[in-house]
Parts: sequence; C-alpha cells; structure tokens
Amino acid sequence: MTGRKPFLDGLVGLLTPDDILVSCLGANARYLPHMTVPAPVFALCDSMGAAIPLALGMALTRPDRRIVALEGDGSLLMSPNVLATVAAARPRNLTILLWVNRHYESSGGQALPDVTVDWLGVARACGIGHVWPVGDVEALRAAYREAVAAAPALVVLEVAFDPGESIPPYSERPEEIRARFASQMAAQGS
Amino acid sequence: MDGAQRIVAGLESAGVTLAASVPDTWIGRLMAEVRRSARLRALDVAREEEAVAAACGAYLVGGRGAVLIQNAGLLNCGGILAGLVELYRIPCFFIVSLRGDDRDPVYYHAPKGRVTEETLRAWRLPYARADRQGDLTEQVRGGVESCVESRGPFVLLISGEDLA
Repeated sequence: MTGRKPFLDGLVGLLTPDDILVSCLGANARYLPHMTVPAPVFALCDSMGAAIPLALGMALTRPDRRIVALEGDGSLLMSPNVLATVAAARPRNLTILLWVNRHYESSGGQALPDVTVDWLGVARACGIGHVWPVGDVEALRAAYREAVAAAPALVVLEVAFDPGESIPPYSERPEEIRARFASQMAAQGS
Repeated sequence: MDGAQRIVAGLESAGVTLAASVPDTWIGRLMAEVRRSARLRALDVAREEEAVAAACGAYLVGGRGAVLIQNAGLLNCGGILAGLVELYRIPCFFIVSLRGDDRDPVYYHAPKGRVTEETLRAWRLPYARADRQGDLTEQVRGGVESCVESRGPFVLLISGEDLA
C-alpha cells in the first residue's frame, strides 16, 4: 500500500497554475507549505468536514478555475451529506480526492469506527457517478486525469497508515495561510 | 416590495453572489425569492455547516457568500464558526430564522427561541433583529458590509412577519 507522501508528491505533480487546491486539516495541510505547489493552496487547520463545501463555494464562484479538494475519511465520515450537496450542485470544475487510512491521524492516530466503508458506493448513492479507486501513484495519475474531465468526481485513495511517519508540524498560522492564498490569487490576476 | 424582496435586494446591493441554505418554512420563502434573482446563485446544502464553508469559499475567491438557515442550524454551527470563520477571519453573513420567540406560533420551536440570542452573545457574534418598519434592504446591505469590514460574521435574525 502506498504512503501519504508519495501520493501527495504525485498529486502536486499533476497540478497546474489554473488549479486551486483546498486541503483538509491534518497531514496534507502540514506537508503542503514545505512543497512547491504550482497552484494556490488554501489549507485548513481545524473544521473537520469543511474542505469539500469550501471548495464547492469556490467552484461555483469561479467556474473558470479547476478546484481540487482533499478530504480525509475521518472528516467525511462525520459529514458525508456533502456528497449529495455536490452532486446536486453539479460543479463541472470540482474534483475531490478522499484519503482513506481509517485513522484520525492528526489527533494521534486513533482508529475510526471499526467498519470498512464503501466510499465508492456512498458517493454513487449520493449521486456522484464518477468515482475511481486508487491504490498507487500511477493509478492516481490515470484516475486524476479522468476525474478532472468528468467532474464533479471523487477519487478514493487507499493510503497506508504509518504511526511513525514524521509529519512536519503546522508551519503557518491561519492568517498567514489566508494571506498567502490571497497573494497567490492576486499574483495570477484573480 | 414585500420583506423577502427587500432582503434579497439588500443581498444584491451588497454584491452577494452565493446564497447557501438549508430551508425551513420561513427561509424557504426567502430562498424562493433568491431563486428569482439573476445576481444570486442559490446553493441548496444538506447541512448548515456546509453553507458556512461554501460562503467562505466564495469569499476567498472574490465572491461574497451568505448563509440562510434556521436557528436550529445556527446552533449546529459553533464549531465551524470558531474553526473557520473566526480562525481565518473570513466575512460570513447569516440570515437566520428566529424560531420559537413570542411571534412564532409553533410550540416545538420554543426551546430554540429561548437560547438563540443568549448563544449568539456567548459566541460573541454580532447580530440584530430585522427591522421591517425601517429600511430592511439597507439593514441587509449594511450587515454584509460590516462582515467585510470586520472580517467576521454577522447574523440577521428574521421572523416570518419580516418576509411579508
């Protein structure tokens, strides 16, 4: 099974300056400031479940931009309703990547409720017809391209959970995240 | 214009572009008016926290969002108000139906009515009751602008009478 960082490296390599990346709280948000990302990044450090609806608001406001939302399975498990909201709104520029590791990684690695959630089935049942399971970086590259073309779409990444992973701490305050995002958008004339 | 039309005119004049909502009877009437607007995008969400996040997302990329929900839904939103709106200092304008006060004939709303304004004060959210005898359009526009200036939330409480 593939670890988080190789997936994140693979995703960043697929992004373009026309994209906007919205990250859920946790490891992805903590890694991203240390990576060279070609697109503006807005990362959450709290508010589980907010990444997808926040990205939806962006997508509907800026149909000229492609919005990519990263969400974790713990967050989506507490707010799966948002999948129905996305399906109903039908944003043609929103792609969701769900990171499934069955743990609340950022709060200490506690396990999620002990069930195997069929996220592809949940998404389909909520009206998102374009879904892809991904188990490695090569599959991510292939699925991502298809998902972007078929948006709104969901890519489900099976991510190895490593309790010993050395994840960098949050390195930006929320004000800094917001300001950096605004400056990245402004630099693009957006 | 009736009250719903005046509220929507206020949203339009303030440059609101996205109105995200979970309806109740009163908010549903207001959203019907929103849907008649050529300048507002109505977004139906499944839960109120989604509306808050969507409104914030709109603002972050150059639009202006508003959240139209019942007070039951506002009471759901403590976490996201703290962890997104306040933490990142994002303007977020709320129109909230104040169910359960002395103007609401429906008995089962009363517990929400008893705690809504006390909760708003405890959460330190600036708020006002709609002034339907005054310039409601200007009150809405001013509420949106106060969000932008303070980079935070503002809650306008409405009753069913305010929509008439």
